[in-house]
Amino acid sequence: MKISGSYFLPLPPEQAYQRLQDPAVLAGAMPGCESLEKIGEDEYRMKMKMAMASLSGNFDGKVRITQQNPPNSFKLMVEGSGKIGFMKGEGDLNFTPKDAGTDVSYEGDVQVGGTIAAVGQRLIDGTAKMMIKRFFDKVAA
Amino acid sequence: MATTTITKTEKLVGKRIRRREDPRLITGTATYVDDIKMPGMLYAAILRSPHAAAKIRSIDISKAKALKGVHAVFVGEDTKNAGAVPCGASLPGLRVPHHNLLAIDRVYLVGHPVAVVVATDRYVARDGAELIEVDYEPEAAVADPEKALAPGAHAVHPQWADNVAFTFHQEGGDVAKAFAEADVIVKQRIVSQRLIPNSMETRGVVADWHAADRSMNLFTSTQAPHLVRSLVAQILGLEENRFRVVAPEVGGGFGAKIQTYAEEILLAWISMKLQKPVKWIESRRENFLCTIHGRGHVDFYEIAAKRDGTITGIKLKIIQDLGAYFTVLTPAIPTLSVLMMPGLYRTPNIQADIVGAFTNCTPTDAYRGAGRPEATHGIERMVDMVAAELKMDPAEIRLKNFVRNEEFPFPTATGLVYDSGDYSAPLKKAMEMAGYDQLRKEQVEARKQGKLMGIGLCAYGEICAFGPSPATPAGGWESATVKIEPSGQVTVLTGISPHGQGEETTFAQITGDELGVGIDDVLVLHGDTSLVPYGIGTFGSRSTAVGGTALYYALQDLKAKVKKFGAMLLESEDVTLANGQCTDNKTGKSVGFKEIAAAAYRAMKLPPNTEPGLLATHFWEPPNFTFPFGAHLVVTDVDRDTGNVSIRRYIAIDDCGNILNPLIVDGQVHGGVAQGIGQALWEQAVYDDNGQLVTGEFMDYTMPRAHMMPWIESGHTVTPTPVNPLGVKGVGEAGTIGASPAVVNSVVDALSPLGVKHLDMPLTPEKLWKLISAGSNA
Repeated sequence: MKISGSYFLPLPPEQAYQRLQDPAVLAGAMPGCESLEKIGEDEYRMKMKMAMASLSGNFDGKVRITQQNPPNSFKLMVEGSGKIGFMKGEGDLNFTPKDAGTDVSYEGDVQVGGTIAAVGQRLIDGTAKMMIKRFFDKVAA
Repeated sequence: MATTTITKTEKLVGKRIRRREDPRLITGTATYVDDIKMPGMLYAAILRSPHAAAKIRSIDISKAKALKGVHAVFVGEDTKNAGAVPCGASLPGLRVPHHNLLAIDRVYLVGHPVAVVVATDRYVARDGAELIEVDYEPEAAVADPEKALAPGAHAVHPQWADNVAFTFHQEGGDVAKAFAEADVIVKQRIVSQRLIPNSMETRGVVADWHAADRSMNLFTSTQAPHLVRSLVAQILGLEENRFRVVAPEVGGGFGAKIQTYAEEILLAWISMKLQKPVKWIESRRENFLCTIHGRGHVDFYEIAAKRDGTITGIKLKIIQDLGAYFTVLTPAIPTLSVLMMPGLYRTPNIQADIVGAFTNCTPTDAYRGAGRPEATHGIERMVDMVAAELKMDPAEIRLKNFVRNEEFPFPTATGLVYDSGDYSAPLKKAMEMAGYDQLRKEQVEARKQGKLMGIGLCAYGEICAFGPSPATPAGGWESATVKIEPSGQVTVLTGISPHGQGEETTFAQITGDELGVGIDDVLVLHGDTSLVPYGIGTFGSRSTAVGGTALYYALQDLKAKVKKFGAMLLESEDVTLANGQCTDNKTGKSVGFKEIAAAAYRAMKLPPNTEPGLLATHFWEPPNFTFPFGAHLVVTDVDRDTGNVSIRRYIAIDDCGNILNPLIVDGQVHGGVAQGIGQALWEQAVYDDNGQLVTGEFMDYTMPRAHMMPWIESGHTVTPTPVNPLGVKGVGEAGTIGASPAVVNSVVDALSPLGVKHLDMPLTPEKLWKLISAGSNA
């Protein structure tokens, strides 16, 4: 599934770029994130709880940041698996100065499998958009 | 209730007798597999792959094993010598993938069983399964049969890079000449989408091994208990005579329970391993993924016709989506489509090619109609398209091309011999009931007002009463044993395994009439291999036409014996058996059925060359299939604003030969029509590009519900078959076969003012709304 959109952060691009790579910020902002632990350069182990439709479950996964081009763009890769299936996603984030802040646009691809795919497919689009919005709301706060 | 009717004069056959199996079903007292409980019984839960294609790097079962209440955890390495899931079909050059009970080093579809956890209850078993850690290395998958055949596609089985399981070619007549001399050639790609059978009861197995006497009791929700016994006993190296399979109450099958599944073998193996009874009940989500799917055709049709509407040739290429593995009949199903491809038409020239494609999906196999709905949908859509091309009425082109009454038995270009028929009769009857000419006038008026009204016809034929043994994978005969008890009550043991078709009633009707006893004195038993000598099972609309005929012949043997005892008691040589008694034709003296039965067992005196007791068994081998036919006529209105199809009238005229019980025949037609309309309008198994089934529950897979059904106006014409003495042809699949083309033809007719010539199923409101919106803007 393709995902794209943009969000306005009231921070200059340099700060926005940094904030979106700060493990503490990411852990606090990712919906359902229970822990985020650094395991390598730009690589983190993540535990998260996800709820969608009648399903909820814990995911163990990894977050990786690559193709760093501060303060213009980077690539975010997230993958996780748990009892209710697996998810895999990657997206490009682009930072453009706008007014006194930054327009963060994202474009990516999300793949889900297992029970979440079989019973939750029709909700994935909406759930993903909601989660992204919650994420940025927290990053901005 | 159980009283012997001594003077029974009314015939039972032909009456609308209520089903004798219904009281236990509607009072919730029937025993299904999940109702079986045994002391010390354990429960199995199966861990299944979330990936459509992946290598298994490692499996860690330690946490699951440590869970309190877990007795055992097994993985593919443990079961690799236990055998493989069997495929009964054979075709030249067929590539048969080894279908392990549990995946060993790779998984080939979402839902592929990877491990099994056995525990004290089903909840602990499920919890245990969730504690298993599998390290997968996912690979690209292919979920679409056309994409699977494209160069460079992911190989479902690495050893067969082209994903081709088999190719099949058949031709008859001179198709090249027919096409060279045609006035018009119409071509169309037609899809019969993948469907999920969705019986009300999911599958379930209880296996109960007794080591001391090396005996196995296997309770399973199946349509073919003897077949399961022969296959599983052989696979596990057990003695068939000590292997008992019971199909208790079975809550629907629709073809999806003919197969022998991995779980039936696995549970028997586990019970032997753990020396305990073990139960597994398929969850609804598992049922969507792990029980076979149906259809899955992409068909390429070409029809050659003369200007006057004479159809002179048919070319068909079928791409069959087989899924990742075969179940018992998987590769054979599309060959039935080829046999059925001429429909009811005389066309002597046909050419058919099948390509069976592997995909990383659930195996396809027999689903109500099995190959014939696809073929009927195809030919009936094509005939409409030829009619449209020639500006002929769709009824006229059908009537012109039907096999004529004087041509029966009619040899088809595909090698069948159609038994009997009057193909124009149901169509004419449907048109008369509908007021066809008036409807066409009404349609002209409706179109002037911009309304989208359609009239759709389908004249279907089908292959039933499977079948002559040389034409079937496991023998096509059927058996019946009839026993008159010393009390005069009658017990029938049949080799078929009904699970909703009502033979406990229809077979009691046949028996009652033949022996002259009341219906309450007859008990029909089935579905237990320790009770029934042997049987093939219930599928392919065969139960009454083949199993009922075996019963009929067993009853003739028994009648002769009853008459011998009657004659002895009456000291006569000329007696008649009727109305529950034997009567001396000279003196008019009679002796009752009960007294005869008692005498046969008491055996104070025996007729010459006659053994005591009253029991007869008959195995009947059918000399041919039967070929029911019929016509469905559907009037639809399509809502321009929503794309919703409303079925204003649904007329189903079916000719299934003689009708034993009109109530049951109507029920079969109604259920079949519901499934056919389901395919036409709503149902579809959808996989994404990664091989994930995205319609994995009832929220996403639209099953027809009662309120979505039209009123079905049923009617019949009766053309008895000469193939069996009952004259019955079979009606289990008729409704499904007739419905989808009739509905789609009606909707295409409704949308034809917008230039629509063909639509692929399902005709969802979304699909039609988009089309109408685009069309009205254009």
